[in-house]
Amino acid sequence: MELRVIENTEDELSIEIAGEDHTFMNVLKGTLLEAENVGAATYDMNPEQSGGQTEPILTIKTENGADPLEELEAAAAEIRSKTAALTDAFDDAAA
Amino acid sequence: MDEEYDVEFIEREERSAKFLVRGVTPAFANGIRRAMIADVPTLAIDEVRFIENSSVMFDEQIALRLGLVPLSTPPNEFDEDDVVTLSLDVSGPATAYSGDIVSSDEMVQPAEENVPIIDLKDGQRLELEADAVLSTGKDHAKHQGGVSVGYRHLQRVETVGDRGEFEDVDPEIYRGVIQEGDELVDTEEFDHDLTNRYPDQEVAVEDVEHAFVFSVETDGSMSVEELFTRAVESLDARAAELEDAVSL
Amino acid sequence: MMVPVRCFTCGNVVGEHWEEFKARSREGDEDPEMVLDELGIDRYCCRRMLVSHKDLVDIVSPYQ
Repeated sequence: MELRVIENTEDELSIEIAGEDHTFMNVLKGTLLEAENVGAATYDMNPEQSGGQTEPILTIKTENGADPLEELEAAAAEIRSKTAALTDAFDDAAA
Repeated sequence: MDEEYDVEFIEREERSAKFLVRGVTPAFANGIRRAMIADVPTLAIDEVRFIENSSVMFDEQIALRLGLVPLSTPPNEFDEDDVVTLSLDVSGPATAYSGDIVSSDEMVQPAEENVPIIDLKDGQRLELEADAVLSTGKDHAKHQGGVSVGYRHLQRVETVGDRGEFEDVDPEIYRGVIQEGDELVDTEEFDHDLTNRYPDQEVAVEDVEHAFVFSVETDGSMSVEELFTRAVESLDARAAELEDAVSL
Repeated sequence: MMVPVRCFTCGNVVGEHWEEFKARSREGDEDPEMVLDELGIDRYCCRRMLVSHKDLVDIVSPYQ
C-alpha cells in the first residue's frame, strides 16, 4: 500500500492509495462517512481505458476543524475494531 | 456504528453454508464478499514439468486441468512465495485421477480424489512434476477459494390484514431468508412463494437494516468458516497497513 | 475431450461426478435430471457442463 498525497488543506485531503481496489476502498469510504466530523468522503477509480488514473484516489472533506488525515487514521482504526468484533461474533456462532 | 454484531448459522455443511450476519453495513458486507472471492489465497498448481506425456492431450492442456484441481490449503502455514511440489505418474491403460497426485507435503492434498485428468490408452504414459503456489483469485480463478459467494438482505415479513375473499392471488416470490417475529425461515420451506405460507393474508415485506444472509460455497481448499474468517482478516490487514502508513 | 474439471461459469468442481453421471444416465437408463439432483449439482451452469459433455479420447486416440 503506497500512499501519495495529492492535495492536503485544512479541511480537505486527496490521497492516492496504490494497490487497492473497490474491496477495501468502499469499506473505507463507508466507514469514513460514519464519522461525525467527515462531511464528504469519496473515492475515484477511473479505469485506464477511460483515460484516467488506475490507482484509487480517496477524497475527504471534514467539518468543525477536524484534520482529514487524522480522520483517515481513525477510520482505519475503526475498520480494525469492526473486523475484530465481527470475527469474535463469527467464532462464537461457529464454535 | 454501535450496533452489536451477531452471526447465526442457518445452514451449515462442510463446503457450503448460509449464515446471517447482523450489524454490518452494506459496504462492509460487500467488502467481505469481494475478499472471499478475490483476496483469500489458496494453493494451486502453477507450473508443471513433464517427464513423459504420450497422452492425446498437449502438455498445456494437462497443466491447465491440474491447476484447476483444488488443493487443501491449511491456514497460516504458507506464504505467497512458498512452493509445494507434487508429482503424478500413471501408465495406460488407465485414467489418471486427481487422487493419483502425490504431494510432498502431507497438509497439501487434492481436495477431490475423483477428478479425471486424462484417459490413457494402451502404451500411453504420463509422468510429471508440478509446483503449487499460493495466490489469490484476483490473479487466477484457480486460486479462488469461494465459489458462488453472495449475500441478500434479511427480509421481515408481517401480516397486515386479510386478503379480499375474491381477489386474484399473484405469487409473491422471495428467495433467501425471511424473518417472522424472531424466527428465521428459509424461503425454500414454502417454495419461495409467500402466498403459500400466508394463503389468506396480506403481507408487508421490508429489508431488515444491516442484516445480511451470506450464502457461501468453497471449492474444498478450506472450510466456509475459514474462508470467511480469512476474508475478514484480509480486510483487517489492509486497515492495519493504512493505519501504519498514515500515522507515520 | 476430457470432462472439464470446473464449471466454466461459477468455478464449482464438477469433474469428479462425470463418471458416475455417465454410468447412470448415459450408459444406464436413469433420468439425467434425477442423477444431477442426487449428485448435488444444483445450479444450471454446472448441470450443463455434464449434460453437454462428450468424451473424445477414444475417438482421437487412433490418430496420435
